[in-house]
Amino acid sequence: MKPSALQLGVAPPENRGIAVLDFFLRLIAIVGTLASAIAMATTNQTLPFFSQFVRFRAKFNDLPSFTFFVVASSIVSAYLILSLAFSILHIAKANLVNTRVLLLVLDTAAMGLLMAGSAAATAIVQLAHKGNNKVNWFAICQQYNDFCKRVSGSLIGSYAGVVVLILLILLSGVALTRR
Amino acid sequence: MEGDSTTINITETPKERKGKAPLLAAPPASKPVAPKAPKGGYKRCLAIFDVVLRLAGIAAALGAAIAMGSTDQTLPFFTQFFQFKAQFDDLPAFTFFVIANAITAAYLALTIPISIVCIVRPHLVAPRVILIFLDTVMVALTTAAAGGAASIVYLAHNGNSDANWPAICQQFNDFCQEISGAVVASFLAVVVLMFLIVLSAFAL
Repeated sequence: MKPSALQLGVAPPENRGIAVLDFFLRLIAIVGTLASAIAMATTNQTLPFFSQFVRFRAKFNDLPSFTFFVVASSIVSAYLILSLAFSILHIAKANLVNTRVLLLVLDTAAMGLLMAGSAAATAIVQLAHKGNNKVNWFAICQQYNDFCKRVSGSLIGSYAGVVVLILLILLSGVALTRR
Repeated sequence: MEGDSTTINITETPKERKGKAPLLAAPPASKPVAPKAPKGGYKRCLAIFDVVLRLAGIAAALGAAIAMGSTDQTLPFFTQFFQFKAQFDDLPAFTFFVIANAITAAYLALTIPISIVCIVRPHLVAPRVILIFLDTVMVALTTAAAGGAASIVYLAHNGNSDANWPAICQQFNDFCQEISGAVVASFLAVVVLMFLIVLSAFAL
């Protein structure tokens, strides 16, 4: 009886090692994405001077790209926490195929979402640091130092999450070949 | 749960029925030899769809790169010192966009041979794992390019009053339309690449 793609087979013991590695990588990705979402969401810098009508304050929701970044990071970290259950299931039963394929597909979607958010935030951070003379966009980092540092630092966590998600997809692919 | 004894099935060959069989039948093989044609049937189908999707992805990524790279709008008025011109390389995010989409189109073209190998030999696993990994990296690259350009395009359309960034689309209309179209094409390429990953996952 030849095994088809949607049938349980007997898995080699290396699959359990792959599943354990998968679990730990997911924990690292959760920490990275959650930290970057929190770091971006808690930005709030008020400059010590103000004019009569305008108060100079920078928060993440002043820029829609940063709002999208916070939302995307939160969604991906919530998904990763929920997928820990599947990861534990794969450690317990290393020969499941359908759930591994499902996890691979969802990991791909999550990686795309996280990368889109990180890229949007990176583009704005680059603009904020350097400005752009040709379109008359002024570099706001020269005034809002702390805001800029915090925002740039939160990008590191989300890029680490993207790299870990790529590794997770590769691991799922390798585990699918061993059955 | 297997018992201690094994049963050996000796099938009656046509030669035996005609009386030409040898006296001692050869021991049957432990596994029947599977016919080659239906074994990788659905995998071959998925691989063909994979090649078609790759061609579509090349069109999308190349279209995005060309649309962004050929932007050049000069406004009909100018002052004594400045001429108002908008090009893609005025913004580093757009330069990265053009380069990344060009890389994606080249990658998709170069992996068509690997995909064809998957059609011809559907039971091979190594090319599919390679394709899954490289497709994933390419999804990351293309999404980075598309997302970065999308946020700049959004700024160009809407501006940002808190950061005092004016909306340049109100002046540079054609430039804005071209860059928006390029971003849409790039996101199409991302969707195509994600479909390719899902296809390879189902074919593994």
